[in-house]
Amino acid sequence: MLASWKQLIFQILLLLISCRHINTTSPDPTPPPLVPIDSLPRDVRRAAFKGEGQIEKVELLNPVNLELVCTWTGHQNKESNITGFWRKDGLEIENSHLTVQLENEQYQLQQVFNIVSEENLGNYSCVFESEVKIDFVVAVPQIGEIRDKPVVTYVGDSGVITCKMEDSKPMPNTWKWYKANGTDKEEIFAAAEPQRYEIKNNERKTKLLVNNLTMADSGLYYCGAVYTLSTSMGHVELKVITYYEPLKPFMAIVAEVFILVTAILLFERSRSKKNDTEGDMMSDQTNTLSPGENNGLEGSSSMRQRKT
Amino acid sequence: MLAVMYAGGPVSSCLVLRFGSRPVVILGGLMCGVSMVTASFGSSIIYLYICVGIIGGCGLAFNLNASLNIISKYFLVRRPLANGLAMAGSPVFLCILAPVNQYLLDSYGWRGSLLVLGAIMLNCCVAGALMRPVAQPPSSPPEQKVEEQPNNTNSNLKESCLKNISFFDVSFFKDRGFIIYLFGSIMFIFGAYAPFLFLSAYAISQGIDEHSAAYLLSFMGFVDMVVRPGTGLTANSKWIRPRIQYFFSFAVTYNGLCHLLCPLIHSYSFLLFYTFCFAMSFGMVFALIFECLMDLMGPQRFPSAVGMVTIIECFPMLLGPPIAGLLVDITGDYKYLFILCGSVIFTGGVFLFVMNIYNDHMLKKEKNAKDREQNQKNMEDQDHKDIKRTPKAMMEQTEFEVTEDNGAQGDLEIAETPN
Repeated sequence: MLASWKQLIFQILLLLISCRHINTTSPDPTPPPLVPIDSLPRDVRRAAFKGEGQIEKVELLNPVNLELVCTWTGHQNKESNITGFWRKDGLEIENSHLTVQLENEQYQLQQVFNIVSEENLGNYSCVFESEVKIDFVVAVPQIGEIRDKPVVTYVGDSGVITCKMEDSKPMPNTWKWYKANGTDKEEIFAAAEPQRYEIKNNERKTKLLVNNLTMADSGLYYCGAVYTLSTSMGHVELKVITYYEPLKPFMAIVAEVFILVTAILLFERSRSKKNDTEGDMMSDQTNTLSPGENNGLEGSSSMRQRKT
Repeated sequence: MLAVMYAGGPVSSCLVLRFGSRPVVILGGLMCGVSMVTASFGSSIIYLYICVGIIGGCGLAFNLNASLNIISKYFLVRRPLANGLAMAGSPVFLCILAPVNQYLLDSYGWRGSLLVLGAIMLNCCVAGALMRPVAQPPSSPPEQKVEEQPNNTNSNLKESCLKNISFFDVSFFKDRGFIIYLFGSIMFIFGAYAPFLFLSAYAISQGIDEHSAAYLLSFMGFVDMVVRPGTGLTANSKWIRPRIQYFFSFAVTYNGLCHLLCPLIHSYSFLLFYTFCFAMSFGMVFALIFECLMDLMGPQRFPSAVGMVTIIECFPMLLGPPIAGLLVDITGDYKYLFILCGSVIFTGGVFLFVMNIYNDHMLKKEKNAKDREQNQKNMEDQDHKDIKRTPKAMMEQTEFEVTEDNGAQGDLEIAETPN
């Protein structure tokens, strides 16, 4: 009887401790489901040390048990035992120090990580003897094809911003759009303001239509490709300008044309006046075609019209 | 826009004949500018079609026809060089406007770009202002009558235009040289634009990266820019000018040959070499295409002739690239496009060459026949009159009459007449 009470108190204590642990570490309002670790699929990624600054990209969509395997052939004088440990985002993972033995002329370090939520993503490194390091960047697929120049639109016009996930990468579950507000991001809900915003999602592509633009609509817009683990972001800048901007070079060029045309016509008029005062005959011989030849060549069917 | 530009030829030639080049080019420049500016305010593709396509195309048609006409009026001795220089404007602007366009799009978006491009097109009016009307000789009475009645009503204008067009239609098709030229240029235009449009797509399909593929087109623009005035200069020389029709047929054949040889080797350096040859032949043909027509028709008939040629050329230009594109879609291989275009152009070139030889042969025959007729007539006249002149003077007189005659003459004989 006493033993069962002790067991019950012990279990309640354990439950309280684990609940508190969950509350302090997850920033999300809804805590992630406590998925039993064994039921997750296993994904194995291997890397052999080739040189300094080696980075391996690991793209994940769903929660997995990620096993990372590092191999290293070692120095000239191969010791039988060396130490190895793991880092996450530059910080050493506790209790990850291991003694690695030389097998088949190489050292192998492996570890299984539970990648269940966004905080599990990051830069994992395996380190041998504090000198040989291989980085694994564990992330959701990043949006590659995105416009780097700003989209220029006018006040009162409607603007379209598109984001596309490449065909070679896996499709996102859905897309979300955010507008930058200082350093924060505000999500855009098209349903809330249907006249202003319209979001068209098409598996790999998403379009944000903003109608009736104002100067305040300028800024950075973020498109998020939502995967189970996390959302990958891409940003596009929208610039809203008034018609006065292109009007300045337009007026400058029109003024230049007007000045040139007037100058040419005035010059011609003054020259013809000078010629009239000098004599009756039109003295400009700019044309090399003399009138006699002009009349002579008229009406011929196949004669060549040239003079060398 | 291209369709309207070429189809508006006859209307443009009519206006040029009536009003001269200057007002027509100024009007054309204004229309182009207005079309771009109004297009910048549009919101639908139909609106763009009407603005840029119809109004812009009409403006361009007026510009093209009137500019060619003024070259034929101003120049005779150095006309091929003038044509080459004038046609060189195209690749120059192609090279300049490509980066300018990119800059405008990045700074002002498509609306602002159209606005600024409209202003740039207004510079055509400056070109028009420079086209001082050629002084008409005061001796010929029919021209004076036209000058004395400047207040033609609109119906008179339309009547005279229609009369001019219908009159020249029939007479042009009786001209052997014109028919040969027309066929040759139709075949050339059919195959000319498709390789140009599909060049970078072909390069990318061969595994070349986008940057290098785009570089091919700018390389083509640079070569074209240099080749056109160069061809004009060459065509002006005293060896080539009498045989300019053959030079033109050579250029067309060379173009066709380039396209036929393109699909043989697949490497970037060969593609670069092909682009160089293509640009050279393209520039040569375009520098000569209107010069040859001027050579055949003369400044009087040229405006109407060019109007008719452009409206007929509309059809192969509209048919060529889509048919080539369809061929690529069906077969999935670009080489058939090059084979099709190359063979059509090559055939056109060979046709021009052969038919020009035939035409010159026929012209010589006709000229000889006319000479004999003239000689016979003179001999008869001489029999009836008293012999006052020496035989040598009589020969000189017949030669003088023959050279003044409006009958057909061989090229070489004209070339040999002293300056």
